[in-house]
Amino acid sequence: MTSYNKRKKVCPFKSGKRVIDYKNTRLLRDFITESGRIVPSRITGVSAKFQRQLVIEIARARILGLLPFCDSHD
Amino acid sequence: MRHYEIVLLVHPDQSAQVPSMVEKYKSIIEKSKGRVHRFEDWGRRQLAYSINKVHKAHYLLFNIECDAPTLEELEHNFRYNDAVIRNMIIRRSTAITEPSPMLKENPEASMRSRGRSAGDDSYVDDDLTVEE
Repeated sequence: MTSYNKRKKVCPFKSGKRVIDYKNTRLLRDFITESGRIVPSRITGVSAKFQRQLVIEIARARILGLLPFCDSHD
Repeated sequence: MRHYEIVLLVHPDQSAQVPSMVEKYKSIIEKSKGRVHRFEDWGRRQLAYSINKVHKAHYLLFNIECDAPTLEELEHNFRYNDAVIRNMIIRRSTAITEPSPMLKENPEASMRSRGRSAGDDSYVDDDLTVEE
């Protein structure tokens, strides 16, 4: 069984040390791909609760020009 | 009275106007017994994509407490001020006073935010050197 070797992903926000905020672009950048897309939670292991917050904060950062929408602007 | 968080993007060519704009907005808030809990000047930052054909913008952050008519007045001001290229207003549940993550990773910007009260002239000079 392959699943025995698989390490269970832990949500990086459950510890409560890191606050999801649109102003913290360095943190948000860990959850977008090189092309600017939001990485699915099944890849990053973020729980559904925090993924919802993450999506909102990334959207805010994008509106303010802090993060890109995609990699082919202009 | 509610708490709001406001981010303004000012046109880089109008950066010199920023101190007077800030004073104006603060006076609008304080006129109706509102309060400014946090003000930050992030300076000129590169935009992730161009907005209205500009690639840089001067960022300002306010955390304020005010009533609805005051907020409407502010919104009206942002809309009809050509220097403001974008604004975002978020409702917050409490007053936020600690420095934002943006300021923590860029200490130069924080110096400018604090230096502003000391003298506005040096602040403008500082901005010009950034441009070069």
